[in-house]
Amino acid sequence: MTEASPKIHAIKLGDLGRTQTEDTDEVAIRVENLDLYYGDAKALKSVSMNLPKNRVTAFIGPSGCGKSTLLRCFNRMNDLVDICRVDGKILMEGKNIYDRDVNVALLRRRVGMVFQKPNPFPKSIFENVAYGLRIMGVNSRDTLDDAVEKALRGAALWNEVKDRLDQNGLSLSGGQQQRLVIARAIALEPDVLLLDEPASALDPISTAKIEELVNEMKDRYTIIIVTHNMQQAARVSDYTAFMYMGELVEIGRTNDVFLKPTVKQTEDYITGRFG
Amino acid sequence: MEKIESSITSAGGFTGRRMAKDRLFKYVMIFGGLSVIIAISTIFFYLAGVVSPLFMPSHMDELKPLAVPSLANQSTVHLAMEEQVEIGVRIADQGDVTFFSLLDGKPSLQEQVPLPESVRATSFAAGDLRKRAMAFGLADGRLLLLKDDYKVTFTQDPKDPTKDIRSIAPGLVYPLGTDALVVDDAGQPLKRLAIQHDEEGTTAVAQTGDDRLLLAYFTSESDFAGESVTTERAAVHELPRLKGEIDQILLEVKQRDLYVVHGGRFVSHFDVQNKDEPSLKQTVAVVPEGERVTAAALLSGGFSLVLGTDKGHLVQWFQVRDANNKNTLTRIREFKPMDGPIALVAPEHARKGFVAADDKGGVNLYYATSERLLVERATGAAPARLAAFAPRANAVLLETTQGEIRSAHIENEYPEISFGSLWGKVWYESYEQPDYIWQSAAANSDFEPKFSVAPLTFGTLKAAFYAMMVAVPLAVLGAIFAAYFMSPKMRSVVKPSIEIMEALPTVILGFLAGLWLAPFVDNNLAGTLLAIFLLPFSFVITAWVWHRLPGQLIKNLGPGWEAALLVPVIILVIWGAVSLGHPVEAAFFNGDMPRWVSNELGWSYEQRNSLVVGIAMGFAAIPIIFSIAEDAIFSVPRHLTSGSLALGATTWQTLFNVVLLTASPGIFSAIMVGFGRAIGETMIVLMATGNTAVMDMSIFTGFRTLSANIGVEMPEAAVGSTHYLLLFFSALVLFIFTFFINTLAELVRQRLREKYSSL
Repeated sequence: MTEASPKIHAIKLGDLGRTQTEDTDEVAIRVENLDLYYGDAKALKSVSMNLPKNRVTAFIGPSGCGKSTLLRCFNRMNDLVDICRVDGKILMEGKNIYDRDVNVALLRRRVGMVFQKPNPFPKSIFENVAYGLRIMGVNSRDTLDDAVEKALRGAALWNEVKDRLDQNGLSLSGGQQQRLVIARAIALEPDVLLLDEPASALDPISTAKIEELVNEMKDRYTIIIVTHNMQQAARVSDYTAFMYMGELVEIGRTNDVFLKPTVKQTEDYITGRFG
Repeated sequence: MEKIESSITSAGGFTGRRMAKDRLFKYVMIFGGLSVIIAISTIFFYLAGVVSPLFMPSHMDELKPLAVPSLANQSTVHLAMEEQVEIGVRIADQGDVTFFSLLDGKPSLQEQVPLPESVRATSFAAGDLRKRAMAFGLADGRLLLLKDDYKVTFTQDPKDPTKDIRSIAPGLVYPLGTDALVVDDAGQPLKRLAIQHDEEGTTAVAQTGDDRLLLAYFTSESDFAGESVTTERAAVHELPRLKGEIDQILLEVKQRDLYVVHGGRFVSHFDVQNKDEPSLKQTVAVVPEGERVTAAALLSGGFSLVLGTDKGHLVQWFQVRDANNKNTLTRIREFKPMDGPIALVAPEHARKGFVAADDKGGVNLYYATSERLLVERATGAAPARLAAFAPRANAVLLETTQGEIRSAHIENEYPEISFGSLWGKVWYESYEQPDYIWQSAAANSDFEPKFSVAPLTFGTLKAAFYAMMVAVPLAVLGAIFAAYFMSPKMRSVVKPSIEIMEALPTVILGFLAGLWLAPFVDNNLAGTLLAIFLLPFSFVITAWVWHRLPGQLIKNLGPGWEAALLVPVIILVIWGAVSLGHPVEAAFFNGDMPRWVSNELGWSYEQRNSLVVGIAMGFAAIPIIFSIAEDAIFSVPRHLTSGSLALGATTWQTLFNVVLLTASPGIFSAIMVGFGRAIGETMIVLMATGNTAVMDMSIFTGFRTLSANIGVEMPEAAVGSTHYLLLFFSALVLFIFTFFINTLAELVRQRLREKYSSL
């Protein structure tokens, strides 16, 4: 994509929205008027937003607000749901990922995803991390060895597993499994990393490790994280988007959204009046 | 308001009942589990117990001397026992006949054969043991035929009226009258004699005092009252002179073959079926130079010759037909040699066993078919010179060189069974080469039962193999499609329908396979094979065409309904292939493919063949394989497939790298359960194959499985017979088979599960 990425600029987001302040961050993903239907039910209503490059953006909001659905739009995982239909655009480097000529498999290699529940494959640790490369046709042992080590180091797991790479990935603890899954995703060197409540099934120590990891990774990847945990959003994210009932309520710098939300609903949710 | 119990130690009341229930169910579960284990092991031990006599060693008591009064200046020429093993008989060379009790040797009757006055007996011959005919050859060239006969009568026991007392009255009968029959017109003494007698006629072969070998044939007619018999000599011939001294003359029971042992190491075979034209067929050197044949006998049935040599060797010979349809005497097998020169070989009456004795006092029981040495014994005194089996082979009677008579009880019910005869190739009488044969019964009693379990086991595996060839691809691929691609709505119809197929009684499948499918395949062989060949291609082509169709049409059908499109394709392809079959047969296979297969390819072809069974039994195995495999694939967690897809894997990559891998334990069990099912299946193989116990992998022949064999033969097997026990043995083999397959499957499955189980 040759088109220069535009700077984030103020977008008026309807009546509920707030104005995003002028910023120096580059835009990685631009969402334009995204509508999503499950059958006849509209799950996302005209969502528009800019997601900054090499920053962590947190999606928060009550259950069922559509934040995970929106996240799954970025790597088109919603395609797997037969009755799901998407209108509008999601632009990555100026290209609408819902265009007909987009190859979903290649898109997903660029947009990695980590799920709520750790889901390592029933294979060895090594094969788990090498999986993405293998399906892309990389089979050279040296390349794989390097990539696996790099990815495991990147996911802060290398020191814990370097002596037992041939063990089943399922033999790791939950927190390790989740970092293994992150390593699996970053082994493909994606541009974007989608984290769907990555710590919700983990204990506090593992959660802290994941958060630390997210912090370290943001220099290299554009990270979008869905979380129920307000503190987590506050701790790890640079930007926060609050969603409610399928609509984007407001998006902005995390400090701004948490400390001086422009919309009453945001304030109510953050302060725990509902949710 | 009811109060909730607050004590944490009390066990009464409601909590007590809860705990009791908990315990009750625990014990019910334990009981259930143990019952299953007990039931299975009981079946195993029952089968093993029933079968075990087959493999018990034969037993022979010590040879106990009987106090039969010894003979003055006569020597014994023949010993025999009657069926109940109560009375034995000793026949001496000058016609002195002593019947004696086999308990203590006390004579119960003594008779003198009415030899013509002042004519000495010069030879003696016993015919077939079951027919009991014997003859004395006389010094004036005549012979006298007699039989020992036992009349069994039952009288009521005066003390206990519910019991009968059996009494056996021995005696001698003269079937051709007491007048001696002339064999040699020249009046030379008959030095050596062989005889066979039945209702049709009597054949005698005799060596005369001047060393001529004569063949005489007598026919007899009884008068209207059936009282007196007139016998006349229908033919007499002089046979060609043979090299060396004549050692032994053996005439076969059907009076067709004559074997003469001569010159110490030669056997000459004469065809004497046509009494007017006896002909010498061949002369064979049966032992190498320097060795001598010292004993010879025909085994029961008259096919096999057992020869014993001065070096203690025991060898079986019989005629084998070669490629030119010519019979040649062939050395078949050698038995474990004895220590000294063989002094005698005496056959059993009805089976292929024999007793052999050497001049060092050894007495061995052998069985020809299984090549077994059953029992080794010693007379405990002087070596044996004469021996005889009881008609049921449950006792042996022998006389030592010192004229002492000894007898022993034998327990030897299943001598024909050995590991080799069950699983290996056996050279049966009148077969061209050793072979695996199961043939448990035949029309005549000379028949040697052929109990090789190998072809049945092979048939079982062959049936399962062809069934799995059909079932595994269809069921597993179907399961993959249903679980992974099919729309939920279609799946909700397809899965239960296939599972209902399971409930179809196999007797119906077998019936359809045997009576409809087999003739159909026979009539449309080319069409059927064409259809099997074309169907996979038609699927691929349909899929290709489908992807070339306009997108709108695809959308309208909805994803996951593609399989429905194949239904008309399948029908069309089968119809097309079948209607194309006859022209194809006409063009390439001379109009009749089955005949072409058997004539041109030289493969045997049966209408009820493995193809038919493969389809029918495959059909029976599909539901269970499909059902288990589908469950396994369907239960692969969605988050694993999502994980793979999210890494940029395609649907197919995800299927092969994640889904099938994770489901592999389940798919493996599905296949093994299907295999076990195919192994044990009875009705389909029974009805849809010809049940011939052949051993070849050809798809155009049938087979006989262990299970079908039990089904077919159990009703006709005599309880306690070798055959009956072997059917139980088949069941045991089948049991062990399925047990091993299931155990193996379970072990592999657990390994796989350990390796690939997900979360």
